[in-house]
Amino acid sequence: MERTRLRRQVALTRQSLFDQGFLDEQFIQLEDLQDDANPNFVEEVVTLYYRDSARLITNIEKALEKNSLDFNKLDGFMHQFKGSSSSIGAKKVKAECTLFREYCRAGNGEGLPHLSVQGLNGFAWIHTSCRCTRTFQQIKKEYATLKRKLEAYFQVVRQAGPAETACWPK
Amino acid sequence: MLGMWKTNAPDEFVSVKFDMEMREGSSPSDGASSTPNSSGRRRNSAEAKEGLGFIMCKRLVQMMQGNIWISLNPLASAQSMTLVLRFQNRPSYGRATFAPGSSSEQPSSNPQFRGLRVILADDDALNRAVTKKLLEKLGCEVTAVSSGFECLSALNSAENSVRLVVLDIQMPEMDGFEVATRIRKVRSRSWPLIIAVTASAEDNVWERCLQMGMNGMIRKPVLLQGMADELQRVLQRAGEGL
Repeated sequence: MERTRLRRQVALTRQSLFDQGFLDEQFIQLEDLQDDANPNFVEEVVTLYYRDSARLITNIEKALEKNSLDFNKLDGFMHQFKGSSSSIGAKKVKAECTLFREYCRAGNGEGLPHLSVQGLNGFAWIHTSCRCTRTFQQIKKEYATLKRKLEAYFQVVRQAGPAETACWPK
Repeated sequence: MLGMWKTNAPDEFVSVKFDMEMREGSSPSDGASSTPNSSGRRRNSAEAKEGLGFIMCKRLVQMMQGNIWISLNPLASAQSMTLVLRFQNRPSYGRATFAPGSSSEQPSSNPQFRGLRVILADDDALNRAVTKKLLEKLGCEVTAVSSGFECLSALNSAENSVRLVVLDIQMPEMDGFEVATRIRKVRSRSWPLIIAVTASAEDNVWERCLQMGMNGMIRKPVLLQGMADELQRVLQRAGEGL
């Protein structure tokens, strides 16, 4: 009975992560790869993501602290970070990363015309930098929220125990 | 098309039958004609209905081991056309049904991939872990490395046993293009096969891949079905000596 209740809790928690837009189909791809040989694959991958991306986040923070922003470098870091976030299906994080990269491209003179370098005076330059910084704060927020939610999710998964699979009697 | 049937016989082939109703006053563009004077010679009424276009279709369909015919109504005008096509059964890559924490049954992997020796090169630990698992799910035997250098040395020590190299293009130090160029300097175009993995959405990436001697390309994010399809395509072309 307890097991059934826990299983239902797992299903509901999981569904809400999708419904609220935290995760996308890529997460399901990871679940598909999980099997008897790697019964905790999804959790392992997510753990790997948070471990690896911590380094990237630090790099981006350092780069944003400089007086004049190197948009190319920032874009490079963000490309990597977006790729990783995409691999685990981190939907909101990924969306903020896309926005950040657009601002980087604007800072470089490509992309959004209303932020193009031709029109950039000192004020507009600061404007772009502010946007990058602000977007990055948003990224960190979504990143931390997702981490909390996933940790809670995996905890319930572990409590519910391995699912029984239908198998022919040996 | 109004109806479709599939035989359930569990054999090598699957037949699909299409029934097309032809309503009063309409006629298929190049098919049966209802004018009685289309041919001067005396033929049975079914043949008299078949124009040249239809005969060509019938020939082609029969060459493909199917069949096509016209059924007449009592007034001897075309009522319906039936087309039967035969397809060979191919193994499917079933996706495991997901349920939280479920250990899924192994999806049926293509026998072609079983034991296929692969070297996977990707500098990103996360992508490496996921793509490796994905390839193993398909039945491959995977050696995962984190740089172009490691890839080349792994290939050298494996001699000729590695069939396929899956290569992330955007790697620092030595990118995928350079790795491929170096491999092709000493190896033939089809052994080992090289599949590039790229995040780029640009059109000319594929051309560049081809120029560097690669055999296939897959875009990130790498999906199970996508990898399976591209693997199949690349192996097939290699088998055809292309």
